[in-house]
Amino acid sequence: MAMPESLYYLIQQLLNGLTVGSTYALIAIGYTMVYGIIGMINFAHGEVYMIGSYIAFIVIAALAMFGIESVPVMIVAAFAISMMVTSAYGYSIERVAYRPLRGGNRLIPLISAIGMSIFLQNLVRIAQGSRDIAMPTMISGGIDIGPQDGFHATLSYMQMIIFAVTLITMTLLTLFISRSRMGRACRACAEDLKMTNLLGINTNAVIALTFVIGAALAAVAGVLLGMYYGVINPYIGFMAGLKAFTAAVLGGIGSIPGAVLGGLLLGVTEAITAGYFSTEYKDVVAFGLLILILLFRPSGILGRPEVEKV
Amino acid sequence: MKMAHKKALSRMIAAAALAGASTCAVAADTIKIALAGPVTGPVAQYGDMQFIGAKMAIEQINQAGGVNGAQLEGVVFDDACDPKQAVAVANRIVNEGISFVVGHLCSSSTQPASDIYEEEGILMITAASTSPDITDRGYQMVFRTIGLDSLQGPTAGNFIVEQIKPQKVAVIHDKQQYGEGIATAVRDVLLANDVEVPVFEGITAGDKDFSALIAKLRQAGVDFVYYGGYHPELGLILRQAGEQGLDVRFMGPEGVGNTDISAIAGESSEGLLVTLPKAFDQDPKNAHLVEAFKAKNEDPSGPFVFPAYAAVQVIADGIKIADSTDTEAVAEALRSNSFETPTGTLSFDEKGDLKNFNFVVYEWHADASKTALTE
Repeated sequence: MAMPESLYYLIQQLLNGLTVGSTYALIAIGYTMVYGIIGMINFAHGEVYMIGSYIAFIVIAALAMFGIESVPVMIVAAFAISMMVTSAYGYSIERVAYRPLRGGNRLIPLISAIGMSIFLQNLVRIAQGSRDIAMPTMISGGIDIGPQDGFHATLSYMQMIIFAVTLITMTLLTLFISRSRMGRACRACAEDLKMTNLLGINTNAVIALTFVIGAALAAVAGVLLGMYYGVINPYIGFMAGLKAFTAAVLGGIGSIPGAVLGGLLLGVTEAITAGYFSTEYKDVVAFGLLILILLFRPSGILGRPEVEKV
Repeated sequence: MKMAHKKALSRMIAAAALAGASTCAVAADTIKIALAGPVTGPVAQYGDMQFIGAKMAIEQINQAGGVNGAQLEGVVFDDACDPKQAVAVANRIVNEGISFVVGHLCSSSTQPASDIYEEEGILMITAASTSPDITDRGYQMVFRTIGLDSLQGPTAGNFIVEQIKPQKVAVIHDKQQYGEGIATAVRDVLLANDVEVPVFEGITAGDKDFSALIAKLRQAGVDFVYYGGYHPELGLILRQAGEQGLDVRFMGPEGVGNTDISAIAGESSEGLLVTLPKAFDQDPKNAHLVEAFKAKNEDPSGPFVFPAYAAVQVIADGIKIADSTDTEAVAEALRSNSFETPTGTLSFDEKGDLKNFNFVVYEWHADASKTALTE
């Protein structure tokens, strides 16, 4: 079964796109969950992703200093500690930038979140310096798909890990939202925050939890991308946040499957544009797609049309 | 309420006037030189090179008795390699009444800032911006102590054609003035010599994912890649090319010739070709200067350290020759004299460019060392 080279090229670009898309999806969930419940965009979310990358770097460097060089131990520790620390950041962002302003004009928390974003970016810049920090390659190699002599697609082990971790995280999150008591409370809050509160559910705790889960998922993306690309700096949160926000809107903001779909679609669109047209137009096409979808389906692909709550 | 505001404002103006007066009093025996470049941001290490070179020159000139009895004082301004911030910095330099600037670093910052300097009669020498456009506008106050992209591009292009002899070359750039300028010059040399260039495209500076681009290069079957831009992106491209099995040689301009490229790309940076100004720190003539840098625990090997040193020295010598700090007289002195500096004997042409400046092709190694391939 000989397949033409162009097919392997397509497979390669799809794999590249799905890898990037998976991480967009992980970050996008943070936006979409917060929006789903309190109807606001957490603009500091991209910075949480960036902080996740830095924590992973610090953990790995610290372990290496104590002579622990086992790669699985390092990765597990990086995930665990990074998720814990960013959860604390997520909780603090909610307490400092959102809760005191809840109930006021919707624009006010938006501005405070942008302020929080600038604060976090500069905090890391001052603490860690503004230069690029390189992480060592921890997992190298991969498998080749296709003929060895001509063009063949390669799937690196790191890409496989990104797919696997994204898949596992998404499954756990879906189970949590659909099966657990707290998940049901989350869905109730998304449905009607005031009513849920009246029914005796601690909505403050639910909102805080949403921020914490979003932050932990951003940390997962931060650790994965930090290891995949190997370079971090205090400014990576901005673009990643923008792309993830686009993914969330594309898929329908407020919908978790929508965020996943939007992320993957955005990643694949970028890879296909770069692969078949020009790398220069990758962002143009990605954001152009967003405008198109919003023109014809303002609520996004899987989003429910906004119903005015009375 | 309004009155109170007015009072506060007038008090502030009075304070500012006082402060202005006090700097004027000091200015009688110090000549301030603004050192403008990135202190922060992703290319801050290049800014450091420029700053340590300029500061060393200021220190040594002051130790030797200063300039016409006055001491030099360097004032650092951070433009973060951001054109908008560069303009803000230029305006601050104007407001502070400084007449001499060594900077900026990134061509895209130098260009808009130099408009302001020209208009305000401030003399600027860049030790790092290599875009030809900067000196191509008939400005009288703009000089540089480094070569041009239009020189660096052909050096790289000819080296590729004569030494590498590749079949298909991809030329990639970062869409910025500096990167795209050099990349275009390289492509023109290649096309003129009948080398195929199937891929010529821009990436976005700050991007992290180049997997789609690398797959494209693999499919196009290129056997050599030229990249016009800076090290953060090329480092990632090299690293991802290594992981995805794109096994070709890369080449870049001096913007990639930085130890960080080896930190980012690791083993994949082995064999990278870089055009750099001659390694002035290797010149035996400069041994005492290298010692002075090492004594301060500074690295003299960066490509902009010595050109920045030369820029300060040229300003100082120009002031001595003109026997005045009037920038027009100093600019005239720069154009009509030649100067002995650690980067060689420098003389400027009408545009403010150096009359002779050579780029050398180096081979980069994974441990961030380099070996010269050309003279």
